[in-house]
Amino acid sequence: MSQFVEQLPVVLSALNEGFVQTLKLFIVTLLGALPLGLIISFGSMSKFKPLSSFVKTFVWIVRGSPLMIQLLIIFYMPGIVFHNPVFGGGEEGRFAAACVAFVINYSCYFSEIFRGGIKSIPYGQQEAGEVLGLTKSQIFFRIKLLQVIKHVVPPMSNEIITLVKDTSLARIIAMQEIIWAGEAFLKGSHGIAGQVWPLFFTAVYYLAFNGILTIAFGKLEKKLNYYRG
Amino acid sequence: MKKRIALALAVVLLVASMFAFAGCGKKPAANSDIEYVKEKGTLVVGITDFAPMDYQDKDGNWIGFDADMAAAFASSLGVEVQFTEIDWDNKVLELNNKSIDCVWNGMTLTDEVTAAMDCSKAYCRNAQSVVVNAKVADKYTTEEACKELNFAVEKGSAGKEQAEASGFKFTEVDTQAKALLEVKSGNCDAAIIDKLMAGAMIGEGTDYADLVTTVDLNAEEYGVGFRKGSDLAKEINTFFDSVKTTGVDVEIATTYGVQAALIK
Repeated sequence: MSQFVEQLPVVLSALNEGFVQTLKLFIVTLLGALPLGLIISFGSMSKFKPLSSFVKTFVWIVRGSPLMIQLLIIFYMPGIVFHNPVFGGGEEGRFAAACVAFVINYSCYFSEIFRGGIKSIPYGQQEAGEVLGLTKSQIFFRIKLLQVIKHVVPPMSNEIITLVKDTSLARIIAMQEIIWAGEAFLKGSHGIAGQVWPLFFTAVYYLAFNGILTIAFGKLEKKLNYYRG
Repeated sequence: MKKRIALALAVVLLVASMFAFAGCGKKPAANSDIEYVKEKGTLVVGITDFAPMDYQDKDGNWIGFDADMAAAFASSLGVEVQFTEIDWDNKVLELNNKSIDCVWNGMTLTDEVTAAMDCSKAYCRNAQSVVVNAKVADKYTTEEACKELNFAVEKGSAGKEQAEASGFKFTEVDTQAKALLEVKSGNCDAAIIDKLMAGAMIGEGTDYADLVTTVDLNAEEYGVGFRKGSDLAKEINTFFDSVKTTGVDVEIATTYGVQAALIK
């Protein structure tokens, strides 16, 4: 027991460090993938056939292949195939590669959610806007967008909670997120070796963070529920 | 609106694909790996957290027998040393990707390792040892007796090769640490891990206090790995010879308690 008390602060500080990496990846992915997802959804709905079929194929490839493979390709391809290791070997490079892979992957999932949200707006609103003499961009931003946001919040919150846990995949390219930090104590790290509990303890971090997200999304949904007052 | 976005998207994709293919034309900067390392000014050493070879002190600096030797080798080349933790499975990928310049982490020189990398000569001795629960340790003191056990071994490791050579029944797991977890949890009866590593990972003061090593299955040697065709592999042997004459290697080895394993 006294050994546990001694180890606790060391383990927690290592796990906190790992969790900061997890959070950073989560935030960058959200900030990148939300706008990119919207752009991709426009691409897949475009009336310009070559563009929409190109985007649809791209979305199929990204959603259809494992994120783990995409991480490996994005980090290792530049050096091995093009002899140009753009990311470098340091921690920053691994983080950057993980960000690129996650933003691309998640923007494809988000794009389909946005597409569903945009398609759910009755076409009559488009016509009404045109009759009133609004431009296409006015119709989208002033009439449709807020309704789209309301519609996409539930599926989006689902995807975002999955994202929190998916960040653990980044350890395949040795990005040192929280599970990496927890697992390190199995073998030995920070002078503590052969400890199993830190690995299992990482789940507490995910649970707590996802709890906060669930509450926040619940509040957001309530706020957007303006038709029922 | 949509058309403008479509156009913008098309432009972005075009630029992105041009950027991606721009790399194609680039030839590797230099044929000599020594020149390449000197040019960028850092020797990037791929490691895992592995006491007493590579591990972090309280301030987060990498220390250990391998880490200190790597730092000495880098300064002999006149460059900075940079340690980066890698996924051990991906070490050859990391080398070819040039995200690291060498693997210096108590790496056993197996046939698979020497086929995939250009390696230094051996600098340290090690063995693959059987780890079992202390309660049954008396029963399994010979290789023959261990044949009835179900083993857990690290995938692609020297321990796995040894399990095959000894004709053991085994399951492959991620890491040596996970192999110990299998024994601890009772899913497997025994594990095969590096003897030097076992010293730090099991016994008193760890969660594996009830595990012990019994049989040494072989004798093996550690080396440093470089990219195929790298001239650093020759350069490091010169470095090892020079530290032997000055006694620096023994000095560093004594600091970390591995002097008995050192190859003179």
